[in-house]
Amino acid sequence: MAFKIYSEKDFPAYLPKLNQLYDELFSGGKGFRSKLVGMVANPLGIDAKTQTLLNQTIEFIHNASLLHDDLVDRSHLRRGKKAAWVKYTPEYAVLAGDYLLARVMMNLSSYGNIKLVQYTSEIISDLLEGEWLQDSVVGDFFVSLEQLDRIHNLKTASLFKWCLRAPFMAIERYDENLHHVLEQMGTILGQLFQRGDDLLDFDIRNDEGKALLGDLKSGYLNSFGAYISKNMTRPQIDQMIKSNNLEELVSCFGADPALAKKAFATKVSEFDVMNEKLIQLYFHHLLQLEQILSPSEKEIIKNLKPLTEILYWRRMPSS
Amino acid sequence: MSSNSRFVTVRKYDPNFLRYLWGKTEKNVRAIPVQSLNVGLDDELVTFELKPIEEIAKPGFFLFFSTVIKLRSYILLLFPLFYIVAKNFADEKFTDPLALCFAAVATLFIYGGLNIRNDIADHISGFDRVNIPTSSKPILLGWTTASNLSKLSWCLLIVGILLAVPVLLLEHDEIKIVAVITVLLLLGQFLKKNSYKEKIWGEVILFLLMGIGLTSGFQEALGSNIDSETVLVGIFWGASVLFLVHINNFSHLLTSTQAGIKNTMTNLGFDRAKIFLGVWWLACIIGWFALHSSFGSTYWTWFTTAILAFWSIPLFIKLSQIRSPLGSDLMKIRSSAHKTFLMMVAIFFVENAWYIGTKLGWTN
Repeated sequence: MAFKIYSEKDFPAYLPKLNQLYDELFSGGKGFRSKLVGMVANPLGIDAKTQTLLNQTIEFIHNASLLHDDLVDRSHLRRGKKAAWVKYTPEYAVLAGDYLLARVMMNLSSYGNIKLVQYTSEIISDLLEGEWLQDSVVGDFFVSLEQLDRIHNLKTASLFKWCLRAPFMAIERYDENLHHVLEQMGTILGQLFQRGDDLLDFDIRNDEGKALLGDLKSGYLNSFGAYISKNMTRPQIDQMIKSNNLEELVSCFGADPALAKKAFATKVSEFDVMNEKLIQLYFHHLLQLEQILSPSEKEIIKNLKPLTEILYWRRMPSS
Repeated sequence: MSSNSRFVTVRKYDPNFLRYLWGKTEKNVRAIPVQSLNVGLDDELVTFELKPIEEIAKPGFFLFFSTVIKLRSYILLLFPLFYIVAKNFADEKFTDPLALCFAAVATLFIYGGLNIRNDIADHISGFDRVNIPTSSKPILLGWTTASNLSKLSWCLLIVGILLAVPVLLLEHDEIKIVAVITVLLLLGQFLKKNSYKEKIWGEVILFLLMGIGLTSGFQEALGSNIDSETVLVGIFWGASVLFLVHINNFSHLLTSTQAGIKNTMTNLGFDRAKIFLGVWWLACIIGWFALHSSFGSTYWTWFTTAILAFWSIPLFIKLSQIRSPLGSDLMKIRSSAHKTFLMMVAIFFVENAWYIGTKLGWTN
């Protein structure tokens, strides 16, 4: 389904290619982050206009980060199409990203909630820090999972935290306990999403058909890559880096293909067990949140419950 | 694989907060911090995993004990002891072996006790939760509780202090050294400036304690007087130990800065800290040369300086090439710095063994 969260009226039509660039950028997205905002905002009874503002804010920030990301990573494809920097030049991609961020500040400040503006600025800053750090570890195939978690907490989790906290800020609910719980839940969701996404690279639960070993080929060891390479020998890591396909990568685990496949599957299971612990921690915080919310807001719990299934296990919840 | 562990989240003002941090929970579970927010601030929030003891892998006694007392770092203590013994043996000023034995054993106990107390302080303040661990943390692994470790540390400290009493009786001048060291330790413990966030004063105290404090303490204990060599070797050793501390802080630069911790590395920032470390180690090499020029033979001065300088090249290269405050290069720099430091100790050891051998006439 095409997802479009901006109006052409928001951007000057006299700027060449700008609206066309945004049309292509926004149309391929699933709009998950704005849906997450809705999961919190709807039960809070936030009016449609404010919700649109929140949705626009998060999607503008996310898409601005994609425009810049693709250029930094030199990724040629975005959502199956040519990346903006390839199609419209790097200069336009940078300016288009900057324009979205400027628009975020303009729209939010006109809403008049200074705390929301400040918080949004913080997460944009975190996002950029995460991007900067990620770029600094490209080509490092010995980076640890704990180190990558710190990057993902800035780059990925910051947006998830915003989705959970911003609707409460929009209705001026600044309760410290509430925001602490949401902050921790956002951190976990971001981590789970990133790890689930990183598994796709290794064809694990890859129903959306993401290109395999993309991160590794572009010189970036993702979280699952860091996990499986933790106790590898130097020759094994060298072999992993040079892998052209998944079969070659799995063969790093042993000369016998059947045994190597089994060893790889064991690593996946261990990774899942580790993340199960994170999921348990998420549910612990969800229980805390339930105690803080008023009866009319409890629907938020119902909405947030299936997120670990969707984000990590990449499946729709059965009920 | 199912686990019977559960989670509990507590705030700093909650009376249970310290109870969990100290590990004073039910006997069959360990409270292990798994998620922390606003560490060091008034609104700190920690989520503990209450893990059944039977689910925690238990280490053997030697691994456990050597990890908690940080046995590997004992070289920082043992080498100054060896140096002072060798120097005074060569100078024929070694008059009180009994007092020195007591002083040496007392120092080993006190050092182990202080290392444990340092770990406990890091755990209670949250320092060990902010940074990515680079070594085994017994409390975070659930091997033991902060409360149990505290008891062990007091035992070691008390035994160490009792063993130090005969030294004071045998060598009265040692009292002055012990008094200064005690004041420094108390300053380190209680000065507000040396809080969880403010580490710079701690660096100065460490430099004095591990350097001049040790060399002059051992010098007095074996019945000799403090001389210029004792002081200069103390300064050199303190600077070398502080270099390792800076390297360690450099490897935590990003996480420490994010948590608002102030030390020399976080104050300088990544780019300037790299240069600072290179210059610091270069100064150590120059110090080595100056020290040997003053107190060693010409042959050893040039020979050992050349080896040390040559051995330090990979460290300088790694420092100049590192480009991220995260990533594996940090560990490579730590490892390279430790190897270089160990090489320096090895050269120093061989050189002093040679002086002893010469005195005994083995080299003729």
